Formats: sequence, C-alpha cells, structure tokens
Amino acid sequence: MADVRSDGRLPLTIVGGFLGAGKSSWLRHQLYTRRFGRVHVLVNEAAELPVDDLLLGRADRLEVLAGGCACCTGRAALIAALRRICDDATGAGAGAIDALVLETSGLADPAAIAGALQEDPVLVRRIVLARTIVLVDAGAAMEQLAGEHLARRQIEAADEIVVTKAAGTDLPQRSRLVATLRLLAPGAAVSWAEFGVEAPRETDPAAAPFDLPEPEAAAPILAHRLDAREAGGWWALSAWLSALLHARGDRIVRIKGVITTPAGRLLLQSVRHHVQPPEILPDAPQGAGDPDFIALIGRDIDEQRLLRSWDTFVRAL
Amino acid sequence: MCNACGFPAAPGHWTDAGASSPGDRLRLRFTRLAVVNRLLARYGLTARDDGVTPGLQLFAPGGEWVLVPDLEALWREAARLAGGPIDPLSDRALGLG
Repeated sequence: MADVRSDGRLPLTIVGGFLGAGKSSWLRHQLYTRRFGRVHVLVNEAAELPVDDLLLGRADRLEVLAGGCACCTGRAALIAALRRICDDATGAGAGAIDALVLETSGLADPAAIAGALQEDPVLVRRIVLARTIVLVDAGAAMEQLAGEHLARRQIEAADEIVVTKAAGTDLPQRSRLVATLRLLAPGAAVSWAEFGVEAPRETDPAAAPFDLPEPEAAAPILAHRLDAREAGGWWALSAWLSALLHARGDRIVRIKGVITTPAGRLLLQSVRHHVQPPEILPDAPQGAGDPDFIALIGRDIDEQRLLRSWDTFVRAL
Repeated sequence: MCNACGFPAAPGHWTDAGASSPGDRLRLRFTRLAVVNRLLARYGLTARDDGVTPGLQLFAPGGEWVLVPDLEALWREAARLAGGPIDPLSDRALGLG
C-alpha cells in the first residue's frame, strides 16, 4: 500500500528498464492490485506516440509524455508535468492521490531523472523519490548488459530489480544473471515476476557473474515513426515488416504499433527478432482512436531510406 | 493442418493475424503476395499463392522451388536462393544499386 508521508511530499516511484523489459505489463498488474494506492501515472515514450497507455487502463490518473526521453530531450516536459501535478495536489485537491509513478521510456537512465528532480527548486520540496524499480528481461539481459552501456546504467540506478520473462531460462543462466545484477547494483533487492505477478525462482548464490566487456561505441538508438493511416493496410505492412525484421532484426531493438484490420485494432510489439502474437485491442471510443502508426526503434536505420522503402513497398499498394 | 501432408506444422505466424473471416483471409494472402513479389522481383525470385494450397511457393530462376509455411520461412529460403538477405532498405531493393 501507499506510504503516507508526514512532510506532505508525494512519493514518486520510477519504473525503468530497457526496451521490451516488460515495464507496462508489470505496471498494469501493480495498478490492478493497487500496490501504489491512488496513483497518478506518468508514462514517458521516446517515440512520439503513445502506446503504453493503451495497456494501463487502471490508473486513477494517467498522463503520457510523448516526444522525447525524460532523461534528456523530454526533461523539461517531465518537470512541467510534475509541477502541475504538485499544484493540483495543493489546496482543494490535496489528498486526492497518494503517489506518483513514472514509467520511463526504455532508453532512459533513471539516475538522470532522479538528478533532474533534485535540481528543480520546486519539485525537490514537493516530491520525494520513493524508489527506483528496474525491470530486466531474463532472456535478453546477458546480451543487453554486455553490449549496451545504458542497460548497465539502468541496473546501477535500481533500488529494486524485477526480473521478467524467466520462464524459458535454466538455473545456471538465472544464477549468473542474478550474480551480475548484484555486482552492478549491490544494494538492490532482486525479485521475479511474470506479467507483474510475483513468481519466485531458484538461483545458485555461488554462480559467477557474466563477463562485462567495455561496450564498444555503437551508433545511437533512434526512434522512427511511420504513419500507417494511408498505408496499404495491415497485410501489406506486415509482409514488409517481416522482411525488414528478418534482414535487420539485430539492429531493430523494438517495434510497437497499432493498426486497424478487419479483425479489429491490433497491438503489434516486437523485441529484436521476436514479434509477440498481436493482441486485439478494445475498440476506441468514436473519434478518439489513435491514428494507425508503427514506431520503429533501432540503430543504423537511415530515415530517408526507411521512408522510401515504406513508400515503395507498403504505401504504393 | 492438412491431414494428407501435415502442413502447416505450426499454427499462427504473427503476420497471419488480422483476418478472421474466410474472405479476409483470402484477401490477406493476395495482398501480401503482391508486396512479397514486389520485393522478391529485385532479387530475381517469384512467389506464388493459388489460394488453395497452404503456404506459399517460392521460385528461383533456375527452376528450383520450395513450399514455405509462412513469411518467416519465405524470407529465410529467399535469402538462401538469392545468396544474401532480402533487405527492404538495401540499395538493391530500393533500385539504387
């Protein structure tokens, strides 16, 4: 349940983790069980489109900060949103919410966000950082921690680490992962969850951590948006996308999208090569539906080339 | 699954989502085929789908052909026949090379 603080500051929980770690799925369940009490949820998306809010119907208040990662380009928007929430929680609105939860984008460094809150003269008096919870995808963690400096910084910032998607892993793999996490974040509690539900798993405390080489300087990860409203429909789009993922799945870190099909609105999500079975979303209220889009997050993708390919193979149909 | 040939072995590639009626499923197959062929043409390959046989048939110029259950397998086989990945962002696919 929520902690009520005597100094009146609102506790803020930062939920972080690499792209595809399962932040929204986990948070969806926490909201359902009311772990945080009456909560105002802020969702930050690095790509200029809200997807995760479609998953989070249970928050008392939900706000999406799209258009920039809150630890760098979107920092001003985050600070402004938090100040507004604090203003609303004063006077007549006092006591309406117990806590704030910020779901960061997968590209955010939680420590940078915590730093920004500390530096703001208003927020430092109104908001207290309660904890930073970082989610880790058990299957993808080794590769991410070995290759992505950002993935390590996220772990280092955690007070609490939740390992997700551990169903397909074996004991030595899990044990080495936990040893690595303890090495990076010695003070953090490590727990296990499947779709937000706690699922304890056995590990061997004597296991050795993964080797963590110095990550080589890689091209930055960028978000690209494709407008799917005028595309040749889901069928053309999925065919093109499957070819793209097959050829470049190692460089496309994440895909998210919402596309209208005759069977309903499909929520499309992928992590690297792995595309999850598309989920059919409830119909949007009339006129309020988000236009169809695809967000493609990856490195070494030339924007001009991407748009040209989209026009040639998908839109022209 | 077809009980004569055991095909397709595994149900439900993600690209098969989005069509629930038989008419939509048929439209899905033909719309998809047009996109696939537009891309394969740059590599000298052709895919066919008669709407009856399950999966797609992939043809190489030398006469070699394979039957593939889904697009995942199609791109894999096409890469093998073309001697390199079928990349929609490459110079070859975009007609720049």
